[in-house]
Amino acid sequence: MSAVASSLSRVGTIAGNTFLEAVRQRFFIALLVLAAGLLASTEFLSEFNFGASEIKFIADIGFGALVLFGSVLTITVTAQLFFAEIESRTALTLLAKPVRRGEFIVGKFLGVWIVVLIFCAIVTALLCTVLAIRESEILAADPDAGEALVSYGHIIAAAAVQWVKFGVLGAITLLLGSFSNTNLFSVATAFLVLVICHLQYLARDVWERGGSVVARIGAALLGLVFPNFQLFNLGDLVTSGEPPGASLIVRVTLYGIAYIAVFLALASFSFRRREI
Amino acid sequence: MSDAPQPAVEIRGLTKDFPLSLRGVRLRAVEDLTLEIPRGCVQGVLGPNGSGKSTTIKVILGLLRPTRGTCRVLGRDSNDSAVRARIGYLPESPDFHRFLTGRELVRYYARLCGVAKAGREARVSEMLEWVGLTAAADRRIGAYSKGMLQRVGLAQALVHDPELVILDEPTAGVDPVGTADIVRLILKLKESGKTVLVSSHLLAQAEDVCDRIAILNRGRLIASGTVAELVGRDGAMSLVVEGMPADSVGELRAWLDTRGWRLASAGPQRSRLDDLFLERVRKAEEQP
Repeated sequence: MSAVASSLSRVGTIAGNTFLEAVRQRFFIALLVLAAGLLASTEFLSEFNFGASEIKFIADIGFGALVLFGSVLTITVTAQLFFAEIESRTALTLLAKPVRRGEFIVGKFLGVWIVVLIFCAIVTALLCTVLAIRESEILAADPDAGEALVSYGHIIAAAAVQWVKFGVLGAITLLLGSFSNTNLFSVATAFLVLVICHLQYLARDVWERGGSVVARIGAALLGLVFPNFQLFNLGDLVTSGEPPGASLIVRVTLYGIAYIAVFLALASFSFRRREI
Repeated sequence: MSDAPQPAVEIRGLTKDFPLSLRGVRLRAVEDLTLEIPRGCVQGVLGPNGSGKSTTIKVILGLLRPTRGTCRVLGRDSNDSAVRARIGYLPESPDFHRFLTGRELVRYYARLCGVAKAGREARVSEMLEWVGLTAAADRRIGAYSKGMLQRVGLAQALVHDPELVILDEPTAGVDPVGTADIVRLILKLKESGKTVLVSSHLLAQAEDVCDRIAILNRGRLIASGTVAELVGRDGAMSLVVEGMPADSVGELRAWLDTRGWRLASAGPQRSRLDDLFLERVRKAEEQP
């Protein structure tokens, strides 16, 4: 087996084990409860009928749940599964094998990203199901409402872009975990970074309007270090009736993947220096 | 150029410091350690808690970088991750992924070590049998006893047939029966020609299994050599005589005196307490 194939095999093995750990340690039950909660809340909404705008309302709730619970899940599961290896000292046995630190980091990341993918898939499937039910009821009650009220392809694409954003968030959490000593510090800091990434466009606007060179350099650095998470909110476009084009989806996806690669490289570098 | 085989482990002037604060305060865990472990030898590293045994092992495994000095393992720098494919390691008080079964755990490490898929399952089963865990192989590790954890730890350490096996306090917290099992497994490794490094603070146990001993205290090497060199008494010999009545000791002493030798001690031979314990437990288990 070539060196690259061996390395990929080790990364895949660690990712598979991380995924199995998440499944067996009841993270999945939490996911299913959250998804079921979402379904129940939209069933409650079906007691009311406020026409085609109800579709936008349900989609907004669905995307809101995806963003909120997905972010919480990504940060907590990434930090938990990473620190579980350090604190229970299973990382000692693992890294005493021919496993590079970078392979450990990438394997952990991929395992968590698969868990989050399944969460996104479940929530999106539930959202599409609820939308399809309400769409058929609305169309049956009002034949003039049109042929189709929901673009399911765009909903799935918007959810997939959110999954890429969760990948960026997971990579940031791993970077923080690679040098911090406690799970709590990593989780708290990752939530802070999440807020900064969601609001960095506001800070950039303010600083750039300030006009000074220092403010412009500061704004540029802020925009470079912290990814702009608002770019990933394509669900807003879907529900506002302006579905995103393929070019935008590809560009945002590549933007996210570039940040994932950079943060994972930094996490690997930082973890290499860590003495366990 | 020397024809002597390259040692399995070659440590030269190893010093390892750990920073304790941002103001530059450091803890010196190992100081100027030089040690060679020949191939095929069972090397004991003894010392009280905090003497630097585990730190030395972590440096050998490339988990810690030396502050000063060098460490070469099987001819390669210890920081080279590829050399770890030839090392098996059982950490002190191992804790493994509790959500896995014993078989899944050994399979997981076999995959990480690149054991070929074709023979992997057979090798995993063979190792589980070798450590006596076949019956418990499909139980979750969370339900394993301390002794079983050590044995599954040995199975994962050996699944890729390493040349060098490192066991950090392999009998810590294990009852005498489990300890005897682990000692027997180490002796089997020795018979199969592996180089074994055992860290322990149980001196009698180390004496039973080790060819060579290094004693550390506060990070410094204070004694090193073969067991015979370290514990043998020059010019003294121990004999065990069967069938001799107690009143014949005087006769034996007189005979020794005529040769210019002195009988230093004589008395009935006693079994060791751990031997007695094991014998009684085994007998009790054999009874229906």
